[in-house]
Amino acid sequence: MSEAALALDIRDLRAGYDSYDVLHGMSLHVANGERIGLFGPNGHGKTTLLNAISKVIRPNGGSVSFMGEPIAAVSARGIVERGLIHVPQANRLFPDMEIMETLELAAFTRRARAERKTNLDYVLKLFPRLAERRRQQCKTLSGGERQMLSIGVGLMCAPRMLMLDEPTLGLSPKLKEELAAAIAGIGTRGMPMLIVEQDIAFVLSLVDRMYFVDHGEIAREIHRGSDVDHQEIMDMYFGERAAS
Amino acid sequence: MTLDALSTVLVSGIVLASVYALIASGLSLVWTTLGIFNFAHGALMTLAAYLAWTVSDAAGLGLWLGAGIAIAVAGVVAAGVLIERLIVRPFYDHRDILLITVMTTLAAMIFIEKGSQLIWGARLKQLRPVVPGQVNFLGTTISAQEALIIALAPLLLGLLFLFLRNSRIGRGIRAVGQNPNAAKLIGIDVSRLFIITFALSAALAGLTGILLGSVRMVTPAFGAEPLVKALIIVIFGGLGSLGGTIVAAYLLGLLEAFLIFFIGIYWAPSMIFVLLILILLVRPQGLLGKVVR
Amino acid sequence: MPVKLDARSLGLAALVVVGLLVPFVVQDTYVRHLFIMAFIYAVVASSWDLSLGYAGIFNFGHVAFFGIGVYATGLTAKLLGLDPWLAMMFGGVAASAAAVLVALPVVRLQGVYVVLVTFAFSQLVLQVVISQSAVTGGTQGLIRVPTIELFGYNFLRDFKFGYYYVAFGMMVVAVACLRWLARSDFGLSIMAMRDNEDYAASRGIPIALQRLKVLVFSAFFAGLAGGFFVVYLRVASPEVFSFSTTSLILSMVLVGGTSTIYGPVIAALVLTFVSEGLANFEGLAEGRFILVAVAMIVVLVFLPKGLASALPKRWGQRAAE
Repeated sequence: MSEAALALDIRDLRAGYDSYDVLHGMSLHVANGERIGLFGPNGHGKTTLLNAISKVIRPNGGSVSFMGEPIAAVSARGIVERGLIHVPQANRLFPDMEIMETLELAAFTRRARAERKTNLDYVLKLFPRLAERRRQQCKTLSGGERQMLSIGVGLMCAPRMLMLDEPTLGLSPKLKEELAAAIAGIGTRGMPMLIVEQDIAFVLSLVDRMYFVDHGEIAREIHRGSDVDHQEIMDMYFGERAAS
Repeated sequence: MTLDALSTVLVSGIVLASVYALIASGLSLVWTTLGIFNFAHGALMTLAAYLAWTVSDAAGLGLWLGAGIAIAVAGVVAAGVLIERLIVRPFYDHRDILLITVMTTLAAMIFIEKGSQLIWGARLKQLRPVVPGQVNFLGTTISAQEALIIALAPLLLGLLFLFLRNSRIGRGIRAVGQNPNAAKLIGIDVSRLFIITFALSAALAGLTGILLGSVRMVTPAFGAEPLVKALIIVIFGGLGSLGGTIVAAYLLGLLEAFLIFFIGIYWAPSMIFVLLILILLVRPQGLLGKVVR
Repeated sequence: MPVKLDARSLGLAALVVVGLLVPFVVQDTYVRHLFIMAFIYAVVASSWDLSLGYAGIFNFGHVAFFGIGVYATGLTAKLLGLDPWLAMMFGGVAASAAAVLVALPVVRLQGVYVVLVTFAFSQLVLQVVISQSAVTGGTQGLIRVPTIELFGYNFLRDFKFGYYYVAFGMMVVAVACLRWLARSDFGLSIMAMRDNEDYAASRGIPIALQRLKVLVFSAFFAGLAGGFFVVYLRVASPEVFSFSTTSLILSMVLVGGTSTIYGPVIAALVLTFVSEGLANFEGLAEGRFILVAVAMIVVLVFLPKGLASALPKRWGQRAAE
C-alpha cells in the first residue's frame, strides 16, 4: 500500500441530523503520524464530524479521504476495515459483556483478528487495570475503567488512525493524567490521532496542531509553539464578552 | 395426590415446558437483538409443519422425513429473512419501530395463517413422528416423540447458548443487541447480523413446529396458541435475557400442567393470564426481570 | 360550543344527509347489510383510534372490548331476558368495566409491556368464552339472540330498513362524541401525553388517570358496537376475539390514518365493501384477510400516515386536522 502524506483529508464536509446540517462545509487534514486536537463549544459539530467520518450518520456532501483513498461512500464497516477507528464519547460499550469478551470481540474484522494477540497484549500492558478485571461486566465498570476499555476496544480494531471523542469526559484529574500518559504512549508509535477535547491543558499537552470548531466550521487553526496564549483560547470559547 | 398422578403431571409439564422454551427463546432472541416482537413467530411454526408434511407425508410428495425436515427448515428460514427484509428493516430508524413492527408482523402472521388455509385447507394434518413408539419416563408412559422433545430442547438451547457466548457471530449478535452504535464502530455489519438473528429464530420456530406437528394436529392456527404462551413467558422472564426466558418457560410449563390437574383444562389458561396480570401489578418488570429499555 | 357554518360543517352535514338517503336509493338487502357492517366496524375502528392514535397507548385489546360487548349483550338479552336495547347499552358498560380491569396494569406499564398485556387480556377473554361453553356456547358460538323492536316494529322487515338507521345513528353519535372528545381539553392532554410524557407530567397532567379514562371511553363505544353487532346478526362466535378480527379492524385504523377519527370511518366503509365483496367469490373467503394483511403492510411501509396522506395536500391536511 502506498504511503500517502495525509492520513485524513476532509474537504467541505456537510452533515447533520434529520433535515438540518450541523456541519456547514468543514475542511481539515491530519498528516501521517500527526496528532490533532479539535476543540470548541459544545453543539458546534465536533462529535457530528467524527460521526460523519465513521458513518454513524451519513454525510450530506463533501469529500473524505483516508490514506489517499476516498471513503465518503464507504460503509461503517468498511471504515473500520480500513483502520480508521472512532472511539465515541461516553461509550456504554456492551453492558452485559465481560472485559475480555469485549476486547476479543472488538477484533472483529479480518485484519484485526490477524493482529488480535499482539494488540491484546499491548492493551493489557497499557491499561493493567483491565487485565485485573478481565471477568467483570462492562456495566459494573467505573467511568475511568470504561474509558480505558473504550480506548482498548479501539486499539483492538487494529487502528491505522484513532479518533478519540472526549476521552477524559467526567474523569478526576488523577485519572486524566493516567489517560493522557496512555494516549501519549499510543502516539509515540506514530499513530495519527484526532482528539476532541474540552480540557485545553490536556489537549495542548498531547497534540501537534489544533483546530477551533465554531458553528459547524473550522474557525481557526493553531500550531503548537505559536504564540497563542491561554487567554486567547478562552476568548475563542466565550466570544467577545469574555475578552472585554 | 398419588405418586403416579404426580409423575404424570410432572412429565406432561416437562413436555409443555420444552416446547415453550424452544418457541419462546426464538422470540426472545429477536427481542433482545432487534428490540422488536415478531408476532409471525408462531405462524413460522405452522408453515414448517405444513412444509414438512407436504414433503414427507404419503398424501404429499411421500419423501423421506429427513428431506421434509430439511426443506421445511430451509423454507421457514427464508420466510424469516423475508420478514426481516420486507417488513422490519424499513422501520429501523423509526421512533415507533416497536409499535409498527407489532402491526406488520401481525399482518405477516395473518398472511401466513390464511395462506396456509388456502393451500392446505382447514382439515387436520399430522406429521409422522421422527421416532415412533413409546418410552417410560419417570414412571409415566409417553410417546417417543415427546421424549425426543424433552431431550432435544435443552440440547438445542445449550447449542444456542454456546453459539451466542463463544462464537464470533454469536458475540456480535449480543453486542448489536446491547449497543448497536458501538457495534457498528468495531466493524460489525449490524444489518447482516439482524438477518442472521431472524434466520436463527425462524429455524428454532420451524424445528419446534416439526417436533410438535406429530404430537398435536396441524391446523392453520397451529402456531397461535404457542405464540401467545411465548409472549406470556417473555413477560414472566422479564424481557431482559434469553436465560430468564428459558427459566420462565420451564416454570410456566410445569405450572400449567399442575393447574390443569387441579382446576381442569378449561380454567387453567385463564388462571395463567390472571396470574400474569397480578404479577405485573406487583412487579411491572416481570417475575425474573430487571428494568430494561 | 357554537356551530360554525363553514364549508367543513356543511360538508359533514351533507354527508350525514347522504347517509340518511342511502336506503331510499339502495333497496338491495345485501348491500344494506354491507353498510350496516361497515358502520359497526367504523365505530370499533374510530374508537380504537382514540386510544391507539390520540393517546398513543399500545392497546391491542380493543377488539376484546368489542367482543365483550358482543357477549355481554347477547348473554343478558338471551339468558336474563333483558330488553335488547338496554342489553346493547349494557354491552358498552361491560366493555368499559373490562377496560378498568385492563387499565390496572396498563397505566403503570411502558411500551412493549402494554402490547403484551393487552394481547394477553384478549386471549384471556377468548379462553373464558371458550371454556364456559355451557353459558357461552363455546366454540359453537352463541345463537338465537333476541333482537330489537320498537313499538312492535320488527327491524328485519322492509329489507333491514330499520337496522340501517340504528347502525347509522349509532355511528354518527359515536363519531361525533369521539371527535368532540379528541378536540376537547381532555383530547389535547392525551395528545400531549403521547408526544412527550415527561413534559405532560410536569405540566400536571395525571397520566395514569387520563390513560384510564381513554381506555374506558374508547371501550364503551367498542362494546356498544359489539352489542349492536349481536342483536343484529343474532349470533356470536369466539371468532370476534381472533387475530383475524384484530387485524381487520387494525387495518381500518391504519389505512384511514391514526389520530383522525374520520379516517378509520372512511377506511371501514371501503374495506368492508372490498373484503365482503371478495368473500362472495369461491375460495376467496380467506383471501380477503390476506388482502387486508397486505394492505396493512403497504400502508405502513409507504404511507405511514394513512391513505389520507396520499391525497392532495389540502385534503390531506383537512383529514389529518
